[in-house]
Amino acid sequence: MDLLNALVALTNFVIVPGLAYGSQLALGALGVTLIYGILRFSNFAHGDTMAFGAMVTILFTWLFQSVGLSAGPLPTALLALPFGILGTIALALVTDRTVYRFYRQQKAKPVIFVMVSLGVMFMMNGIVRFIIGPGDQRFTDGERFVISARTFKKLTGLQEGLAIKTTEALTVITAVIVVAVLFWFLNKTRTGKSMRAYSDNEDLALLSGINPERVVMYTWMIVAALATIAGVLYGLDKSFKPFTYFQLLLPIFASAIVGGLGNPIGAIAGGFIIAFSEVTITYAWKKVLNYSLPDSLAPDGLVQLLSTDYKFAVSFAILIVVLLFKPTGLFKGKAV
Amino acid sequence: MSDNPYQDDHGNKDASITNVKGIGTMQPAHLKSGPTHKVEGGPFLIGDTMTGGYGKGPDILHDCTIAVDKGEIAVIVGPNGAGKSTAMKAVFGMLNVRSGAVRLDGEDITQLTPQDRVVKGMGFVPQTSNIFTSMTVEENLEMGAFIRTDDFRDTMEQVYDLFPILRDKRNQPAGELSGGQRQQVAVGRALMTKPKVLMLDEPTAGVSPIVMDELFDRIIEVARTGLPILMVEQNAKQALEIADKGYVLVQGRNAYTGTGKELLADPEVRKSFLGG
Amino acid sequence: MTETMKHTLLFVFVGVMILLEGMTDFLFFSGSWNSALVILNMGLISAIMAIGVNIQWGFAGLFNVGIMGFTALGGLAVVLVSTPVIPAAWSSGGVSIVMALVMGALTVVAAVMITKFMPAGKLRALVLAVVLIAGFFVYRAIFDPAVGSVEAINPALQGNIGGLGLPVLLAWPAGGLLAAGAAWLIGKTALGLRSDYLAIATLGIAEIIIAVLKNEDWLSRGVKNVVGLPRPLPYEVDLQSDPSFVERAASWGIDPVTASTVYVKAGYALMFTVVLLALLWMAQMALKSPWGRMMRAIRDNETAAEAMGKDVTRRHLQIFVLGSAICGIAGAMMTTLDSQMTPGTYNPLRFTFLIWVMVIVGGSGNNFGAVLGGMLIWFFWIKVEPMGILLMELVTSGMAEGSALKAHLLESASHMRLFTMGLILLLVLRFSPRGLIPEK
Repeated sequence: MDLLNALVALTNFVIVPGLAYGSQLALGALGVTLIYGILRFSNFAHGDTMAFGAMVTILFTWLFQSVGLSAGPLPTALLALPFGILGTIALALVTDRTVYRFYRQQKAKPVIFVMVSLGVMFMMNGIVRFIIGPGDQRFTDGERFVISARTFKKLTGLQEGLAIKTTEALTVITAVIVVAVLFWFLNKTRTGKSMRAYSDNEDLALLSGINPERVVMYTWMIVAALATIAGVLYGLDKSFKPFTYFQLLLPIFASAIVGGLGNPIGAIAGGFIIAFSEVTITYAWKKVLNYSLPDSLAPDGLVQLLSTDYKFAVSFAILIVVLLFKPTGLFKGKAV
Repeated sequence: MSDNPYQDDHGNKDASITNVKGIGTMQPAHLKSGPTHKVEGGPFLIGDTMTGGYGKGPDILHDCTIAVDKGEIAVIVGPNGAGKSTAMKAVFGMLNVRSGAVRLDGEDITQLTPQDRVVKGMGFVPQTSNIFTSMTVEENLEMGAFIRTDDFRDTMEQVYDLFPILRDKRNQPAGELSGGQRQQVAVGRALMTKPKVLMLDEPTAGVSPIVMDELFDRIIEVARTGLPILMVEQNAKQALEIADKGYVLVQGRNAYTGTGKELLADPEVRKSFLGG
Repeated sequence: MTETMKHTLLFVFVGVMILLEGMTDFLFFSGSWNSALVILNMGLISAIMAIGVNIQWGFAGLFNVGIMGFTALGGLAVVLVSTPVIPAAWSSGGVSIVMALVMGALTVVAAVMITKFMPAGKLRALVLAVVLIAGFFVYRAIFDPAVGSVEAINPALQGNIGGLGLPVLLAWPAGGLLAAGAAWLIGKTALGLRSDYLAIATLGIAEIIIAVLKNEDWLSRGVKNVVGLPRPLPYEVDLQSDPSFVERAASWGIDPVTASTVYVKAGYALMFTVVLLALLWMAQMALKSPWGRMMRAIRDNETAAEAMGKDVTRRHLQIFVLGSAICGIAGAMMTTLDSQMTPGTYNPLRFTFLIWVMVIVGGSGNNFGAVLGGMLIWFFWIKVEPMGILLMELVTSGMAEGSALKAHLLESASHMRLFTMGLILLLVLRFSPRGLIPEK
């Protein structure tokens, strides 16, 4: 029995990756939940917006790398991120002007917006593939580890190593900052409050002199920024592939719904719930159990509850269970 | 099926993709404001011989006139379906007024959108969904003052003085308050714009008699500050008792008009609308 | 021009396009009857899927984004019905697998019973947890070794439990049944919730179904694919070695290879047309029947229908199951056409969202619209690529030879496909929101 090593193994294989993935999902889910709360539909193009943001960032990263600009130990992508955000904001605003605004003027039903977002999804997907191709792109550079397994072992003398990738640390730190800024904005600024008011009661917001078009514009800007950050962090941590981003829709939707659609706190909680369930259920617990149980009880198999290919199934099962018991999600939906 | 193909949702009610909570349902008569022009004389606010209906629908109001002057409380009463709320909505620009006019403070505002009427000084409290339930009481008041660019802390203090309970509950979500308190938030929100006239659509709907009396007291208190109040009321008797002016509507027409006392004393009105 | 004429012309347009594909190699056409028939066959299958989705969306407003899953279940049915029986697999572990699955199902049923009949509280949560965890481990204990032994049998070719060795045409209704069963389970859960969460449920289930097909090698060999599935029509090589066929082909003046491929594809086209017409007829009849009128009444005013004592959830479940069954049939037909089951190729863009484009473009609520949309969009889906290349050649014709931009543009032309589908969808939603053939 060796609880310390068990704890390190657990941290290394479950907690750290879970935190990073959870942060990425939370940022994605925040974007979905804001659109749901304020524009009142589920944006199927969100995954592709993330892909677009990541793509613009990657192009700028390559540009910076080619002229020798770097952020030292941090990934160059961080320098490119603001440009990625600006590009995505521009795309979101142009899309809103040319596509969505018409339906607002028509007072179209939310489900029509959902269909429109399908069209936007196809187009964005096409644009991204057209520009950068459907293949895998790696754009991570700089220091690979904050602490590598070998250094950790040397430092502590433990048998198990703990590796924290720079991208993982960066993901969590960025997510914390972004979420803090977002909540400050929504709860403390006049514009943020007007967005919440519009989400709460559109008619009354109008009567209070809040301009819906401005609210919508700010929403798209924030959502574009969130999507880009989430997309870039995910790409840095794993890799960038347009199709993967499209497939992220399911866990992102699941996170937003589990937390309660329209509720930003719920989106964050949902992101971590989904991420940790996926990681824990598809992780092979043999190592951790070997350390924490007496030898006589040590398991023979891998003690993996489900193969990693079933991670979607996990998100979905959690979703159903939550909805069965709390139909509006864990944090009552709708309180942007 | 809806006539507008963009509003045809095939009866879809999927909560995982669409969000209809708090969605806008207002159908203003004008989407863009038209011109206004100065007029001389007349009461402070008047909906003058208004005839009209919703959208392209049939006329609901017929030559209906509603007016209120400074320092007055004017009350619209009448049987169910008489067009009481409709008359007030017409004044607020939610009804297509085909003939007649709405004038406020020496200006013809018939062509304005509801939002622009708020800017011109109309404070409107809808009958339902009249607060931001997920926001705190104080945030509700702040949103009421959204169009103001000056310092509105004084106004907020005045609202708190008028409705002391709101001061205690300022940091509580408005949705958690009782029915009477919610109505106070709603009125307070409308007062935050410093309106020139306050319009209340059935402020006592669904509250207990005790709360109703208290609400009426507050409304009188607001009126004493010189703010004209136009109000639609279901509880005709109590409303007429505090009214300077009363309008009894029947089927979208003015049936009886007079001071509150006159109407209460009118045997015809008593027999038909006040239960003897 | 009357409406009917306009709609007929639209169908004629699609027909002419497919004919041109066979006749001429002008512009983006290939001039190959083979290719024309390939487009026609998948177009017919797409039309059937579109009918299935149209029934759900057009008649009941149900937003199903899991079409891919039902299609894949149809494909699975082909494997399970038509591949030869593998006795060794059944004797070594097949029975245990079935037992394990029954155990798993029983566990779920028990869990549902517990939540239904036990009073809420800590005790219920505890019992529920114990039942679920114990059930899971028992299931895995029976399941894992059985799967191991099944997968060990002749893994290069089989390694799965095989099928029933029945005629492949039986797989089509079986595919429908399999999809219907899955749809019933999903609908029961997602439509029964206090608010309706069908969209996310179908989105998730479809991914799960694909994950199961990809990973459960004992079932359909996973990503190793099942190839050489039995066909309802003769093989081309057999036809080519059949003297009477060769002779007949010669009398038409066609070489035997072309003749045989065209013969087989035309045979499929005929079969698919029969199924399409039958389903279309049934869907039209259902729509005009009292049942269809009730469905539309529910759609147009659910509250009123509920007040009249209609069980809206039950009706929605019915129509969801029916529509999904149709998608399952189409999926089975598709796998039969390909004569292989390749779980790795199922992609929601192609199998779910493209069908939605077909339904919306064709005209939601109109079965003929769905058929038109299915055929038309499928034609574009195939032909946008050569069109894009043509366009890019035109655009880049002025550019310097060997420039990087030119190379990139030409290379990326094939990705125009998704972009164009989105554009078509947006244009139709904007300028003809009821679709090309609107609901009457």
